[in-house]
Amino acid sequence: MSLYDDIRIEGVAWSGGRALKRMAAAMVPPLFGACGALLLGFAALFVDLRPVWSAESPVTITSPNEARSGALLLKTGDGYTEATRLGIDVDVTVSGPTARARVTQIFRNESKDWVEATYVYPLPEGGAVDTLKMVVGDRVVVGEIKERQQARVIYEQAKRSGHKAALTEQQRPNIFTNAVANIGPGETVLVQIEYQEPVHQSGDTFSLRVPLVVGPRYNPAPVVQSVDLRSDGGGWGAATTDPVPDRDKIAAPVLDPADHAPVNPTQITVRLQAGFPLGEVKSSFHAVNMEAPNASTRIVRLAEGAVPADRDFELTWKAAPGKTPSVGLFREHVGDSDYMLAFVTPPALSEAEQKPRPREVVFVIDNSGSMGGTSIAQAKASLIYALGRLQPNDRFNVIRFDNTMSLLFPDCVPADAEHLDRARSFVGALEAQGGTEMVPAMQAALHDGGVSDNSYVRQVVFLTDGAIGNEQQLFDTIAAMRGRSRVFMVGIGSAPNTFLMTRAAELGRGTFTHIGSVDQVEERMRGLFAKLENPAVTGLSVTFSDAKADLTPAILPDVYRGEPLVLAAKLGQLKGDMEIKGKVGDRPWSVKLPLASAAEGKGLSKLWARRKIADAEVARTVGKATPDAADKTILALALEHHLVTRLTSLVAVDATPSRPDGEPLKLADLPLNLPAGWDFAKVFGEQPKPLAPPSERRADASDGHVQLGLRKHPPVVAPASPIVLPKTATDAELKLLAGAALLMLALMMMVIPRRRLAVR
Amino acid sequence: MVRTVTALSVALLGFLLIGQGAYIHAKALVAQVLLERAFDESVATGRIVKPWSWADTWPVARIEVKRLHASAIVLAGSSGQALAFGPGHVEQTPDAGERGVAVYAAHRDTHFSFLRDVKPGDDIAVTRRDGRTFHYRVDDHAVVRYDASGIDPRADGYALALTTCWPFNAVTSGPLRYVVHATMVEGRE
Repeated sequence: MSLYDDIRIEGVAWSGGRALKRMAAAMVPPLFGACGALLLGFAALFVDLRPVWSAESPVTITSPNEARSGALLLKTGDGYTEATRLGIDVDVTVSGPTARARVTQIFRNESKDWVEATYVYPLPEGGAVDTLKMVVGDRVVVGEIKERQQARVIYEQAKRSGHKAALTEQQRPNIFTNAVANIGPGETVLVQIEYQEPVHQSGDTFSLRVPLVVGPRYNPAPVVQSVDLRSDGGGWGAATTDPVPDRDKIAAPVLDPADHAPVNPTQITVRLQAGFPLGEVKSSFHAVNMEAPNASTRIVRLAEGAVPADRDFELTWKAAPGKTPSVGLFREHVGDSDYMLAFVTPPALSEAEQKPRPREVVFVIDNSGSMGGTSIAQAKASLIYALGRLQPNDRFNVIRFDNTMSLLFPDCVPADAEHLDRARSFVGALEAQGGTEMVPAMQAALHDGGVSDNSYVRQVVFLTDGAIGNEQQLFDTIAAMRGRSRVFMVGIGSAPNTFLMTRAAELGRGTFTHIGSVDQVEERMRGLFAKLENPAVTGLSVTFSDAKADLTPAILPDVYRGEPLVLAAKLGQLKGDMEIKGKVGDRPWSVKLPLASAAEGKGLSKLWARRKIADAEVARTVGKATPDAADKTILALALEHHLVTRLTSLVAVDATPSRPDGEPLKLADLPLNLPAGWDFAKVFGEQPKPLAPPSERRADASDGHVQLGLRKHPPVVAPASPIVLPKTATDAELKLLAGAALLMLALMMMVIPRRRLAVR
Repeated sequence: MVRTVTALSVALLGFLLIGQGAYIHAKALVAQVLLERAFDESVATGRIVKPWSWADTWPVARIEVKRLHASAIVLAGSSGQALAFGPGHVEQTPDAGERGVAVYAAHRDTHFSFLRDVKPGDDIAVTRRDGRTFHYRVDDHAVVRYDASGIDPRADGYALALTTCWPFNAVTSGPLRYVVHATMVEGRE
């Protein structure tokens, strides 16, 4: 019973399925008091996302708002403690096309209370988390993959019954949380997760990113590179260098090295086995030491003295000159299936081909009533920008539509100054009104009058919010009439019909660009035009001579210049060839890859599964699969391949401790590899002297202040796409009241004089 | 004479304003009749049916609160145009019956005037275009700013949020919204 007295059961919000469903409700501030540590920790990441080295200070009372990057928040009775972070070790092995990362972190509960901890961390998009191992005090827990709800229930039960438990959940495709229940006072937590990700390739550069910071919000701008040069500052504790520009936001005091034991910095080790002779290898944002055991291998470590980790670690590498591979083919045998991963870079075109082919562009602009307000302004600005990008030898036309439609020119005309001027004034005069009849406009745009010969690239740029109901009709039109035209959808406004746009672009073999505000116009349109102007590899198809293959991506995209085509497949047998066919510009191109000669790769099955899951998510959004069917597919893949997804979580419960109480855990019992240089005995053995006297620090005046702050500003989880509630009041009442008042006035004006007359 | 003319024109202005105000209510009422018809046809045929040929939107669901004898046909999208005719299904939120939080918005003085009488425990039935009906139980309500709804449409579970302007009897519009939260009752259908 005494155990129960000691354990603070946290996370009221998770106390049942009902609570889960009411997550949305719980986000409303008045109800937030009931929210669990997980939610709070998660909020912390979204509210402010930089890793900050002062977070390493022992026992810093801080509000979850102030947690940066991956942080372990311990919920205590009167606030949040950021756990002492003793060290982080990131160990990445790149083998050919894949990278396997093992991230190990040690935290200590310095408080006197039993706590539940929530660890929030970023992972690369497309990363597949498959392993969770955790050592809490003297207990080892290894995660098992379970359906999300089920995992949550298991975790909650274990938590209530006083068992130690750990839970890894995906919050967003690139944000994960680990929750650990029942950490005793003074206990140390060791968290190790492993994930798999594909190496990114663009042009001749390969790259790997270790996110230490979440999200695009704080993506490093290129300018920060100059800051890296200061990493010779000799240790992060030095007060002279302050890599964090907004340090004032951080509650933690600056550490005095004399009072504190050195804290382990983040260690990053990358074993790079590129599979080809390496040329330049460089770390974009951090100083590194590099060893080169042989021509195609590098071992990269962070330079001595911690480098500020307020930016992601990025490593890029190139092949030795002339050795850039244009094709990569890898295989892996798992269970009774073979998995294949192929990178194919389409041939670079000869100089003569570099000159872009002249284009025939039909711009279609929606000026229906639903585009009223800012939408029409964005659409007009986008179109004016696009007109400016046309070359003199291009041809173009403009079509506007609401429930009527008009063509600016009867047919496409050369993009000379006179025609462009007419087009600009035509567009400038457009006003939003009327209904939306999209199909005739699409038909007109796709109608290929044959004015230009085949040397022209025919493109349709369609600007709309997509507020129509007869979507299928539009799709059918595109599918039937697309011919040589490519359809590029530009979605206007804050909430365009994404389903319509995505599907229409897919069918029209173009792209979907979303412009959500006027200031995005130029940036987004520039991106679109880079695609419009450069020849792409089109009409891609893949055939397998012998093997039955389950290929992903399901729909082969056009490939733009410098980008590789990346294919993953599950094969019945590793035999025969895979042939890729397509057109580079207007020249047919094909390449045959003999499957049997593929090189051994690692973790390909997981990458394949991750991409199939992404395919299913896409199918769900574009309505090709019902949500239930898509979920079923995702669940099956995730359970089979042991992946954490939106629907599955890793859960570990220490149900029956195998060791008698008090017996310390021995190194041999650990089912995980400790990072090099970590001394197990020191980590889990006798408690080393506390790094700082916790009690003193907790008595700090700022302590209470922070708690107050916590009460006053309950963190609110920012939704991925926050829902803005529409304006829902009419002025009917106002008008009725004002009207009645005016009538009364009129009545008085009529009646009063008559009375006066009558009196007279 | 001048006085009479002035009085008449003031009266005319008054009638005009009353007419406009009444028109908003009338539009809301008449549209619902047309929408009912289009929705029933939609359910019967499984196709999208526009309530009138030039409409920019179409019915997607019917919301009913039996206890209050309230019912309204929901339109796709929540643009001002759509909301004049009926409640709108807010973009980027899931359909009723799907995972996440389905959000419907409507004017406080017309279609969602009944929200002020909705109490925790009330049953809200939502019939989709495909004819399937889902029941939700009201959990609670909240008043939030329009841009800080705290609603994550991708949240776990199956939930519903009905929202309208707040306060109910204000004459001008403000930044506050009234949100009724409801959770799907197990054993859907």
